[in-house]
Amino acid sequence: MAMNAAPSGGLADRLRVPSGLLLGVLALLWLGSVVRAPEDQMQGVIQKILYVHVPVVFAAYLGFFLTALGGALFLWRDDERYDRLARSAAEVGVLFCTLVLVTGPIWARGTWGRWWSWDLRLTLTLLLWFVYLAYLLLRGFTESSHRAARFAAVYGIVGVLTIPLNYFAIDLAAGRTLHPENLGRGSLGAGMGWPFALGLATAAAALLHLVARRVELEGLREELIRRRAGAREGAWTT
Amino acid sequence: MSVFLAILWKDLVTEWRSRDRVIAMGLFALLVVVVFHFALPEAGADRLRPALPGLLWVAYVFAAMLGLNRAFAVELENDALAGLALVPADRGWIFLGKAAANWILLGVVQAATAVAFALAFDVRLAAVAVPLSGVVALGSLGLCSIGTLFAAISVRTQYREVMLPLLLLPLLVPVLLGAVDATAQLLDEGRVSFAPLQLLLVTNAVFLIVSFVGFEYVLDE
Amino acid sequence: MNAPVIEARGLEKRFGPVVALAGVDLDLPRGCVLAVVGPNGAGKTTLLRLLAGLARPTRGWVRLEGVARGRREARRRIGFIGHATFLYPALTARENLLFAARLYGVSDPAGRAEALLARQGLAQVADQPAGSFSRGMAQRLAIARGLVHDPQVVLLDEPFTGLDRPAADRLDAQLRNLRTEGRTCVLATHDLARAAAVADRALVLSRGRVAHAAEGAPLVGETLERAYLAAVDGSA
Repeated sequence: MAMNAAPSGGLADRLRVPSGLLLGVLALLWLGSVVRAPEDQMQGVIQKILYVHVPVVFAAYLGFFLTALGGALFLWRDDERYDRLARSAAEVGVLFCTLVLVTGPIWARGTWGRWWSWDLRLTLTLLLWFVYLAYLLLRGFTESSHRAARFAAVYGIVGVLTIPLNYFAIDLAAGRTLHPENLGRGSLGAGMGWPFALGLATAAAALLHLVARRVELEGLREELIRRRAGAREGAWTT
Repeated sequence: MSVFLAILWKDLVTEWRSRDRVIAMGLFALLVVVVFHFALPEAGADRLRPALPGLLWVAYVFAAMLGLNRAFAVELENDALAGLALVPADRGWIFLGKAAANWILLGVVQAATAVAFALAFDVRLAAVAVPLSGVVALGSLGLCSIGTLFAAISVRTQYREVMLPLLLLPLLVPVLLGAVDATAQLLDEGRVSFAPLQLLLVTNAVFLIVSFVGFEYVLDE
Repeated sequence: MNAPVIEARGLEKRFGPVVALAGVDLDLPRGCVLAVVGPNGAGKTTLLRLLAGLARPTRGWVRLEGVARGRREARRRIGFIGHATFLYPALTARENLLFAARLYGVSDPAGRAEALLARQGLAQVADQPAGSFSRGMAQRLAIARGLVHDPQVVLLDEPFTGLDRPAADRLDAQLRNLRTEGRTCVLATHDLARAAAVADRALVLSRGRVAHAAEGAPLVGETLERAYLAAVDGSA
């Protein structure tokens, strides 16, 4: 009964080892392709940080999207599992977003000659980082867990909905940009396709793997609290 | 609709009896203007000019934050918020009533601040008073819509005064950019192009709809 | 007419790992007063909030006169009188009632407010701010507020808290009135004596479960008292 009562089990539980293995293989392939990729003639070796930077951005956005999705499902179905998904995805998303905000400036310093530029994509990512840090703080500062879940769900959804608004707003204000254009416009040199593709797959797999582990952990934590309460107050808790 | 009017009436009557929120917001906004003066002492009116629309909106946003933080204080006394949650109507109307009251109070404060601003920095606001009021009202609508939604959230968290700006500011960028851009155009050229207004209109529509729907869940336990 | 006014099956409420209510069934006919007693944290308030539609059950369902809980028509049937008064101190007694009447879309808000002020003996102080009222007066105004839309179901959460003896006696009389008017009441309290005096059914809650159910007037008896004491002891 106790094991069944942890609803995080099931799929996430059974996929732990296979998804971990997949992640390991992907990461090795990615590393290999990054090492073998040709060195950029203009930027030198520092260009290779983009093989981390770009895939991780996409993974971070995936994380925030999962947060909003989990929040919306939680509000709709009132099922705590969706809330766990939302919270876990937000934590991992913020982690990935931090990685983006660290790798970006390192590359920019080497290529642009300065750490930061208030350009569209940088500003957008920075704002998202603030939004989902606020999301995590909101969860921490709300006393009832159920109320925290509702508040956070609403906030997480609003956060994702404002991405397009921010995009248009900053585009309107800034206009010019230093940041390289998106992928898929012929901007990739020969031999750069594989590291990016593998990087995307690896970052997405890493995000999903970490989110699944975090969901599992949350289930275990609640199970532990439940058992402690049961041990303290006799056998009335189920 | 009657719920909307009832809430609006209740909030305005309550505020009229004490006037403490408007006075606090107004004083604070004036203080911000004074602080700007001392923080930018040698800049001179000409060099300061490009920054003025932004400074004006910073004062507005700070004042709004102060007012929004108090907007739900009256609902926590005697747990009146639970009383509102019981009402057999779409809770979105409750949100609209609260937001409209905040919008009106903020408008009063904004008008006074604008006068002080014009005097302090020698800006000729009177010439564009009518279109400027329109732009300010439009910007404040977006500010008050998600501001009211997040105030209803933050007021029931620990560190509520800190929580509201953390929640609100990162999402306020489209409103701020649109409003500052439109205000700058008005001050520079006496008229405003469609682009910032379009941004404000779209943002307001999104924020109002999201807050109307979201309030349903915020009021639930 | 025998159809239950309040019907609930398997009501359960969890907050994460915390179980607030673990399976409660209710069938209350018209004009019945149910006392829900138990120590703090037994689930009384949670039960009321679920019935009122202020919180959603994790499992189970509630119907009020056949309408599912939380729907607008269900909320219209409910008057909630909490130990918090829901009043605005800056508004006068009359304004508080006018405001509530408008919220509920009552057809003649002014007339309704006047009638309720008279009924609650508050006509003299109708134009004084509610913030200046004593606890007992505020409680009477809160009851008027809860009845503003003439609800068939009245939920009372610890209404005796903070009342002095005469005020509590007056509340007793008001509860009897509600019953004679055919309203169905659920009264949550930890005051067993008061509950037994006014109710015709009782439910002892302990740790979210029904520890004992009693029915029929007069509602005294050693089993009820014993069950209540056991519940209080068990939670200590």
